[in-house]
Amino acid sequence: MTDKAGPGAFDAPTVRTGLLPYAWLGLGAALLLWGSWWGLFRAPRETYMGDVQRIMYVHVPTAWNALLALTFAFVCALLSLFRGGFQWDARLEAAMEVGVALSALLCMQGSLWAKPTWGVWWDWDPRLTTTAVMLFAFAGILALRRFVDDPVRRATWSAAAAIVASVNVPLVYFSVRWWNSLHQLQSTPQTVSSAFHWPLRINAFGMLFLMTGLIGLRTRVAALRIRSELAPPPPEVAAAALAPASASVGASAGPSAGPSAGPSARPSVREAR
Amino acid sequence: MGGVIVGGWEFVWAAYGVSLVVLLLYSVSVHTRYKAEMDRGSAPGDKADGR
Repeated sequence: MTDKAGPGAFDAPTVRTGLLPYAWLGLGAALLLWGSWWGLFRAPRETYMGDVQRIMYVHVPTAWNALLALTFAFVCALLSLFRGGFQWDARLEAAMEVGVALSALLCMQGSLWAKPTWGVWWDWDPRLTTTAVMLFAFAGILALRRFVDDPVRRATWSAAAAIVASVNVPLVYFSVRWWNSLHQLQSTPQTVSSAFHWPLRINAFGMLFLMTGLIGLRTRVAALRIRSELAPPPPEVAAAALAPASASVGASAGPSAGPSAGPSARPSVREAR
Repeated sequence: MGGVIVGGWEFVWAAYGVSLVVLLLYSVSVHTRYKAEMDRGSAPGDKADGR
């Protein structure tokens, strides 16, 4: 942010163009391949769930990182709301979208694990229900963002909505402790046998790096879109928009009534350019 | 029997396959959107505004 940024101040977001997100993506993909190979072919079979337990090596890292992405979205929403600046709004959009994608994947993996172990694809138990609420709440915010044209209003209300939706994130995590749930307790080094630690850890870091790269790259997409929204229209478009008005006013309007009175004369545009 | 699950590799492969497809498609989607935004000409050459 800039030193001009204060509460309610909105600056055009900065856009970086380096290859760092791609490096995170590559590192994450490599670790995921390694960890998945270990989990599928080297890790021992679990006593009761047998080979089905191997789903844990992708399911649990997905869950951890979905919650992490949406927790980051909560932080971005707070900073967007109280510090201002489109940079945080761009990060908020990115974190929400990546969190939603991982949450959707989480539900699919969970269903594939639930069927052979519980006998059903889905059950409305506390963990699954809170996860579904989390998924649809953030997906709804993302969908509604597309209907608001004013970037300042969109940033403000979506940050407020994301903060409200984030109340559900700790509920997802603690639901298996607070309520009687069909879902097992959280998988941590304390609740998982040491024989399963390594593939779980490798995949957890792989998913973390992948998520970092995706949020970084998606932030750029959001920032570029916001910048194009804030940019003044090309001179020919601005002149065409002003032509009927100047014709009705007459020649007395003069050139001083030109671009500054156009539709793009938002305070944030001048500040950004 | 006896509370022990036998087999189930098809669910394991399905879970890993779904993960691969979703992560791959989403990564390609983000990359494609990034390139499209850059091609729209709204991209600065480096850090915008020099910040």
